[in-house]
Amino acid sequence: MSEPLVLGIETSCDETAIGIVRGRTLLANVILSSVEEHARFGGVVPEIASRAHLEAIHSVLTRALAEANVSINDIDAFGVTAGPGLIGALLVGVSSASALSLALDKPLYGVNHLSAHLAVDALDSSHELSPAIGLLVSGGHSSIIKVSDFASDVTVLGSTIDDAAGEAFDKIARILQLEFPGGPAIDRVAREGNASAIDFPRGLTNDSEHVYDFSFSGLKTAVARYLQKVPNAVVADVAASFQEAIVDVLLEKAIAAANAFGMEELIIAGGVAANSRLRQVAAQRCAESKVRLRIPPMPLCTDNGAMVAALTSLALSHGVPSSSVGLEAQSSMGLSHVFWA
Amino acid sequence: MTTSLAIDTSTSRTTVAVVKNGNVLASLHHDDPVAHGEILPRLVAQLLQTENSIDDVVIGMGPGPFTGLRVGIVFGQSFAFARNIPWRGICSLDSMASEINVPRFIVAIDARRKELFWAQYENGVRVNEPQVALEKVVERFALPIYREGDVFPSAAMMPGITGDIREPIYIRRPDAYPAPEGVSFRAMNAMDIVPVASLEKAIYADEDPWSIDQFKEELALKDRYYLVAEKAGVVVGYCGAMLAGELADILTITVDSSLRRNGIGREFLKRLIDWARNKKVEALMLEVRVGNDAAQPLYTSNGFYPLNIREDYYGPGLDARVMRKDL
Repeated sequence: MSEPLVLGIETSCDETAIGIVRGRTLLANVILSSVEEHARFGGVVPEIASRAHLEAIHSVLTRALAEANVSINDIDAFGVTAGPGLIGALLVGVSSASALSLALDKPLYGVNHLSAHLAVDALDSSHELSPAIGLLVSGGHSSIIKVSDFASDVTVLGSTIDDAAGEAFDKIARILQLEFPGGPAIDRVAREGNASAIDFPRGLTNDSEHVYDFSFSGLKTAVARYLQKVPNAVVADVAASFQEAIVDVLLEKAIAAANAFGMEELIIAGGVAANSRLRQVAAQRCAESKVRLRIPPMPLCTDNGAMVAALTSLALSHGVPSSSVGLEAQSSMGLSHVFWA
Repeated sequence: MTTSLAIDTSTSRTTVAVVKNGNVLASLHHDDPVAHGEILPRLVAQLLQTENSIDDVVIGMGPGPFTGLRVGIVFGQSFAFARNIPWRGICSLDSMASEINVPRFIVAIDARRKELFWAQYENGVRVNEPQVALEKVVERFALPIYREGDVFPSAAMMPGITGDIREPIYIRRPDAYPAPEGVSFRAMNAMDIVPVASLEKAIYADEDPWSIDQFKEELALKDRYYLVAEKAGVVVGYCGAMLAGELADILTITVDSSLRRNGIGREFLKRLIDWARNKKVEALMLEVRVGNDAAQPLYTSNGFYPLNIREDYYGPGLDARVMRKDL
């Protein structure tokens, strides 16, 4: 008997994405981004994102089915990001998935976006799934997550108390007059700079109440003040030193969590996982701490539908009950809901 | 023999029905302005227990509050996709109008900000495209207005209504238009006159551009309001308006041609509207060249509606359309 064919839909922010998996095998991962429409506003505009999802979703669906070479009637179960995310954007995906599930009489799973980001690692089927610490870093999230079991036991150890890491990259890029999104722009410029030129602050590093939390707003202010004080500062040095401060604090806390909970694996996911310096330092420090480093391929790191399908697939294999009809989209869904009933 | 599934989520009422050749097999509704996403699948699941064999889907495409509206549209489209059956969209106001039996009337849905999405009907037929306007403007037509609450879209009536609308009827543009990046806005001063006049000359070479002296005179007048947009220290656009009794009139909105479609014109218009509101005038007027299709949507999406045409306003053969926004 072949493993179930699962289709996953992700519309929590500005990517309209659908992925199809069979068991732990990736068959399709189609992503359409409206990022260019938001670029001129320096950030995602919710109503623009929601309109773009509605315009795109059925052509993305058609392309994903063609890429996987299956028919919609072959799908055994549907998964959809139910939260957290922009409510208007989430509702497009949830309503579409609800209709597909009802029309074809197949089960629907509402899944948590953060869990899905880490569960996408299951699509490397050569790899035994084991308990891990997840570092999820993107434009919307910066969290350290303890994954004992993807289908049943996922908890947040800490999150950002102000800006997300990717947001900090965007804001600093704006101050440095680099383009949006800021992550790739800073990464590129920083390669020419000296990362130890300026000693920017590492937020919450000696705070016993926020051991696994992050704060990037102080860093942002420090960069802005520095630029006021040194108007002809070398942009590459500022970018490199800022990036170093973020990378340093992200990895220090993530590896401390792995050590504290005896986890032998660190999964880094989210758009910021594309950052070349983060990857470099992560490889060094994981080797030193004897922690296995897992970073999914980039198209599976940024928002995508395959991660939703991957988590749904794990839910099926663990016998998790499907969501009820009338699944609710939740803009601020907590991780206590890996699956939304 | 056609069995249709009809769906509308353009108002606070989620309404669904299965209709077979004009006979309503089942119809359900639920009133909740913020829960279309949860309600719609439950109602449709119930309908499918009565009749699961569906031949097409009829969807209410709005106008209406965007988030709820999209729930019905994407649900209907995805249902049709999964069943490999056709869907067609109709105007939601038409299904509200379908049960009203007076010769002339207006149907309106609350569009917030004291505005209504509305359309006029004569003998049951819609006579204009759905549009958005201030409540008091719609009231001036002195026709009976049937609002959401007096009537609701009725899914049971929808399969009998003609139409094949493929796009959501949003009417309004997305609300959130932040000021364009890197561009600052401020009042025009004497130092700006030379760069402003040279921008004027470059853009309106064939349309009798204003001279430096004309700008000087304008700037000296009390009832005028001029702004410039500046990017990296360079003037990249300007706008101006004048008070004329109970009205205000937009004199110019000009943006460097290389920086158009960046939201600078939109920001100018927003600031002129704010200024006119503060001056407590009745309405803001403007003239736009007939054929200037690029500018029209900006004005209509900000609540300007066409009044009349002024022939040869910009020179022989160059007519102006006068537009008005009630404040």
